[in-house]
Amino acid sequence: MATNGQTERAAQVRIQLKTKDGEIELPQETGPILVSTELKRYQLSTLVNRLLDTEKPIPLEFLINGQFLRTSLDEFLTQNGISAETLLNVEYVKALVPPLHVASYEHDDWISSVDVLSSSSQAAQWANTTDPIQNRILSGSFDGSLRVWNASGSAVATGQGHKSRVNAAKFLSPTQVVSGSMDRSVLLWDYKDSQTSTGTLKPKLELVGHQSSIEDLAVHAPSSRILTASADHEIGIWSTKKSEAPAAPEPTTTPSSNKRRKPETTIPQRGALALLPGHRSPVNSIIFDATDPTVAYSASSDHSLKTWDLPTTTCIDTRTTSTALTSLCHLPDHGLIAVGSAERHISLIDPRANATKVVAMTLRGHTGWVHSLAKDPASTYQFVSGSNDGTCRIWDIRSAGNEAGGERVGHSVFVIERESQKGAKKAEMGDASRVFGVAWDAEVGIVSGGRDKMLQINKG
Amino acid sequence: MAAQRAGQKRKVVEVPRPEPESEEELLGDEELNGAFDEGSSEDDSEDELDGDEFEEDEDEEDEEEELDNDEIPSSDDEEDVRQQLRDLKTNGRQTPPQKLMGSETGVDVSTLSPETPMKPLEDGAEKPNCRVETDANGNERYIYGEIDPVYDSDDSDAQVTANTIGNIPLSYYDAYPHIGYDINGRRIARPAKGEALDSLLDSIEIPEGWTGLTDPETGRPMVLNREELETLKKLTRSEAPGEGYDPYPDMVEWFTGPGKEEVMPLSAAPEPKRRFVPSMHEHKRVMKMVKAIKDGRIKPFKDPTEEEREREEAEQEFASYDIWSNEAPRPDHPMNIPAPKLPPPGYEESYHPPPEYLPDKHEREEWENQDEEDRDRDFLPQDHAALRKVPGYAGFIKEKFERCLDLYLAPRVRRSKLNIDPESLLPKLPDPSELKPFPTWNDTTYFGHEGRVRSVAIDPTARYIASGGDDGTIRIWTFGTGRQEWRIKLSSEDSVSVVTWRPGHNVCILAACCGETVYFIVPPPELIHDDIQAATRDILDAGFGYAASNPSKAATDKSKVSAVTWSRPPTSLQDKGVLLTLTLKSSPKTLTWHRRGEYFATVCPSTSSTSTAVAIHTLSKHQTQHPFKRLKGIAQTATFHPSRPLFFVATRQRVRVYDLQQQKLEKELQPGARWISSISLHPMGGNLLISSYDKRLLWHDLDLGSTPYKTLRYHSKAIRSVKFHPTLPLFADASDDGTVQVFHGKVVGDSLENATVVPLKVLRGHKVKSDLGVLDLEWHPTEAWLVSAGADGSVKLWT
Repeated sequence: MATNGQTERAAQVRIQLKTKDGEIELPQETGPILVSTELKRYQLSTLVNRLLDTEKPIPLEFLINGQFLRTSLDEFLTQNGISAETLLNVEYVKALVPPLHVASYEHDDWISSVDVLSSSSQAAQWANTTDPIQNRILSGSFDGSLRVWNASGSAVATGQGHKSRVNAAKFLSPTQVVSGSMDRSVLLWDYKDSQTSTGTLKPKLELVGHQSSIEDLAVHAPSSRILTASADHEIGIWSTKKSEAPAAPEPTTTPSSNKRRKPETTIPQRGALALLPGHRSPVNSIIFDATDPTVAYSASSDHSLKTWDLPTTTCIDTRTTSTALTSLCHLPDHGLIAVGSAERHISLIDPRANATKVVAMTLRGHTGWVHSLAKDPASTYQFVSGSNDGTCRIWDIRSAGNEAGGERVGHSVFVIERESQKGAKKAEMGDASRVFGVAWDAEVGIVSGGRDKMLQINKG
Repeated sequence: MAAQRAGQKRKVVEVPRPEPESEEELLGDEELNGAFDEGSSEDDSEDELDGDEFEEDEDEEDEEEELDNDEIPSSDDEEDVRQQLRDLKTNGRQTPPQKLMGSETGVDVSTLSPETPMKPLEDGAEKPNCRVETDANGNERYIYGEIDPVYDSDDSDAQVTANTIGNIPLSYYDAYPHIGYDINGRRIARPAKGEALDSLLDSIEIPEGWTGLTDPETGRPMVLNREELETLKKLTRSEAPGEGYDPYPDMVEWFTGPGKEEVMPLSAAPEPKRRFVPSMHEHKRVMKMVKAIKDGRIKPFKDPTEEEREREEAEQEFASYDIWSNEAPRPDHPMNIPAPKLPPPGYEESYHPPPEYLPDKHEREEWENQDEEDRDRDFLPQDHAALRKVPGYAGFIKEKFERCLDLYLAPRVRRSKLNIDPESLLPKLPDPSELKPFPTWNDTTYFGHEGRVRSVAIDPTARYIASGGDDGTIRIWTFGTGRQEWRIKLSSEDSVSVVTWRPGHNVCILAACCGETVYFIVPPPELIHDDIQAATRDILDAGFGYAASNPSKAATDKSKVSAVTWSRPPTSLQDKGVLLTLTLKSSPKTLTWHRRGEYFATVCPSTSSTSTAVAIHTLSKHQTQHPFKRLKGIAQTATFHPSRPLFFVATRQRVRVYDLQQQKLEKELQPGARWISSISLHPMGGNLLISSYDKRLLWHDLDLGSTPYKTLRYHSKAIRSVKFHPTLPLFADASDDGTVQVFHGKVVGDSLENATVVPLKVLRGHKVKSDLGVLDLEWHPTEAWLVSAGADGSVKLWT
């Protein structure tokens, strides 16, 4: 035993450090470095920081063969069956700082969806304005209202227009907001933001046509398109331009009951450019392809992920999984789509036609439906998920291991608990605090909202 | 050794020999001589060995012998001499005592008895060594021949004891001319003595070795020889008695002491030549024997006498009976148990096995802790450096004893032991993980109801869950969020016992039984689209139109069954979506829809009249029919067949199947339950599940007869409800023990194959409140999701 320990202590391995991040590139090529296999992430991080000669140490993560080093080098080599005599190619990346709770904004009712407007957010980039853009958070609530929050936690504007709960809300541009509701309508809002803490949110256009509630929507400002996913099994393509959109369909049934009141303020109504049937169950989520706005992906309760070609309004591809799908997130650099499911896991699906396997990887860890997914703006590998179990989890698709049966299974990097439920019992937490919406912005951080009526902001 | 030879000889040579005695004697002499020749050295060595422990009489002998020599040692010296003699003997360099004494003694004897015929010693006992003569009285007298002591015989009695007068003073014979008698009774003449001798002595020089003593036995002067004198001289001078004599030799521990343990009792001395050279004498003797055998003078074996034969036979009988001696291979037969063929011994059995076969400490412990019967070997390999260090087998007696016990107790029958793996007898059930999906996880709990939740239902579009409970409210929930979307309070006293959705996608009607009234409710416009709502209203209102258009029939119906009233609810309820009510005579506990949504059946178990317990209603006509005039037993629940016009009615102990078109009893099932709580028909219609309050779940295959195909008893308390999944091969039951159990129940269309039932999962989560657990459950129409209603006021979604 003692001799074993000595040999282990003496064991060393040659590593070749490299990075893709120019910021933390080593000043000169070091060549292979001989290090002890006893080293763990922290020691390696210290070593690289010393090589970099940084003033303030940057926490680093180390990737070997596409996997994060979580144990000592020795254990890693043993687990993966790598000989200590080979030259290890170690890629180091800036470590994700654990997201810390920044603030929680109190809401009147459950929060169904969140979106962030900041100078680096997509809406701001599309708008391409020179005006300084304040950080704003948009939240849709179960009480049917939209709220815009500023960074100090006060509601800048409230939009009352929906008759039922808002299921999805997104910034189209710094001045435009789109929301989809359970009342089967999509509202386009004008958002006027004064520099003071007041603003106005006015409905500009109502888009009607769906037979059932709008579950999710996606926006693409340059092509002025809105996509909706509805519980009536259809997908709607809408235009944000009043002139372009067709007229709203007349209500087929005469309002027999006098109970149904018309809204007092008349909002112009427009119909859909196209309503695409195809799914056999409520469509739960829809996104644009991140690189190609003519392609969209939709996920439905009928277990399928469909790829749509928008100009021809046809379904190109259908990938059927084993569970009802609830949320989507596109990872364009890897050609993967992260799909949250009702079976408590996230699947990475390759939608490309030549993909052999439907599910490239499964991320496990949640204990409830995965309601929402949002991509890390800073990394192509990371995204965050919000789930029924009251947690948000940050995932890195590189940190994966193979499980029995050749299935690649990943585990979460960080878990963000609900601040409001600190100290509550684990069993009750899930029912009391579900996360329905999550957004990740480079400046604001991770914004999530849910059943605990709190808009929680975490930042790394 | 001589005796042994003699024995051999006796055995071989038994027949009386015609050969002359002399020859035989010669043979015997030779043999004896040869034997003694060999034996003499042994005797010598024996003497040497025993030198220290010479017996007393031998010492005395020595003394006498010494005295024989007529030399008188001083009394002080006497002991020394004796000791010296002993030492000499011990050292082995001394001649044997006979020799020490000098040849004179022997010579004396021979001279004293010259005329006695020397008869060779007869070794055969049969050969008498005496002559028979007639004595004076005419009696037989045995005259024994002279005993011829061979000079190197170890017989101490053969010593020449000349005088036989015994232990009396010689002075007794002073008066006689002789001093005693020899063994043959002859007188021993007194040697010359007295004055004559004195004078002679005076005249003669004292011879060397003269002691002046007279041997009392022989009467001759004792003379010491030169060597003895020399020795005595040295002794008197306290010198070493001989040249190079070490008086204090080191003790040589030849045979004792440390390091001298005799390892190998064989001598390393080179073999003498004679052992390799064939002995001529032996050859001669053998040839003689061969000749004798050829001539028939010697028979190789003595013919056994009658007595001997008997004895031998008796001995044989007792000694051995080899049961396998004449064993012939027998054909294979169940009663023939062949001896087991043991494998050849391996390294483990070796007394000195290779180290890898030796058990280490852990293995040894394990072996020792094992039960004796469980051990795969009944011994542990042990290491011994040499074969002679192997101890006796410790378990020898025990093993023999057990073997005897086995033989004694073992019944001589072959027990037909079934060599069947018990696992293989079990039916091959698929692994639950292969039967996915099925609900395993409590995903959402819907809180809100105060008091028990009696009933849950999922709408046909699978978006909403409706639940009704003891607080008189109906609540509608959405799946993923757990949000209560809508609620309506129907009554403050009565509980909502049943909520069901009307089947069909185009309309959305929620029927609920609260008290004695059935409410038909349209969910609010937030939840369903206007078009559907309008369609729903049309359907519900159609009945009024029918009643208005056919007043006569409606009137007759009314007169017939006055107790049933279809009416519009008060406007306060109408605003909330309740569009139609149906009031019955008694409170219905079951409301089940026909697949098309046109008909529904209610069952009121608590009604007084059995004829109105079961009612089938037509929604579009607001019509109520009571199909049974008299129903045997108290109706519990009812259901429609999904495709055929069959109607299943369950009373407390029976389930009857009626054909609605032909209006006759189709079948009667006897599940054997005491009190049926709920029934569920498989979506294909061929199988029926019956749950009972006596903890049993019964699966009826309607093709197989009236008794249950399977009975499942997994619950510890009453089963409240059972449901087949509408599309997946699953079913679940809800029990008062607070658990929901999920089963895989696959029904194959092929009637040859039976349904497979596999228990999959016990879902725990509902709390038992006042002895009530889970009251109702409902499957999602497409997913493997289950909604259960608990007495603890919660509705749970299991995914």
